[in-house]
Amino acid sequence: MKQQTKLTPKQETVAEQQTQAQAAVEFASSDELLRFDAAQTTVPPEITQRLQKSVAHIPPPLTRTWWKNLFGG
Amino acid sequence: MKEPVARQGVAAGPPTDWPASEFAALYDEHSRAIFYLALRFLGDPQKAEDATHDVFLKAFRRLDQFRGEASIRTWLYRIAINHCQNLCQSWHNRHVQASSDDLVLESAAAKTDSPLRVLETKELGQRIQQTLDALSDEYRLLLLLVADEELSYEEIAALVGQSSDAVRGKLHRARKAFAAHFEKTV
Repeated sequence: MKQQTKLTPKQETVAEQQTQAQAAVEFASSDELLRFDAAQTTVPPEITQRLQKSVAHIPPPLTRTWWKNLFGG
Repeated sequence: MKEPVARQGVAAGPPTDWPASEFAALYDEHSRAIFYLALRFLGDPQKAEDATHDVFLKAFRRLDQFRGEASIRTWLYRIAINHCQNLCQSWHNRHVQASSDDLVLESAAAKTDSPLRVLETKELGQRIQQTLDALSDEYRLLLLLVADEELSYEEIAALVGQSSDAVRGKLHRARKAFAAHFEKTV
């Protein structure tokens, strides 16, 4: 059985300070806070699967010259 | 309210086998922004998922209507905003109450210059959602749009149908209301 390592009081204090430092975050503004939140958000893959099924039954639009200009295709 | 499924850390891959590969690229580039707007505007992960699907499906159907006068992101945002606002109107949810809340929060002595301090990022999503839910649709939308660094004030103004100056003024009040309410969610 693995033996647990016991921390000294000093080590415990350092560990506690590190934990607090990691947890406390400051945002200069609501813009910054929302940008952080947006960056943490990922799109559920279910949407991709649903869209794949949905667009499979729709013919792509014929006129898309702007699109080629946009992507250089 | 349950926490967004989006926070589970599953990355969405581009739908590479779609018939229109350009559309896959479009989805890959903009889906996060559209999903985030829907998520925080509607306040419900499942509704946001449905809305994001519907927005991109509408975009796919209307690709030939896009003339390139605005950026593709702005065009997608316009579809998303219309879609989300229609959903909110059909729910008749909280608009009158939130508007009065805005006035209360604006008059509160919000420390807008002070940083927003967060001790637990784990609960951050819930706090942000609670705060946004307390604001009017207009303030919520402005704050979400301005958080997208790819949008200019002019583009935001065009999206909400107001002048740039009006947007700046309302954003100032919206940030103040957000800060005041965010402090209360601790």
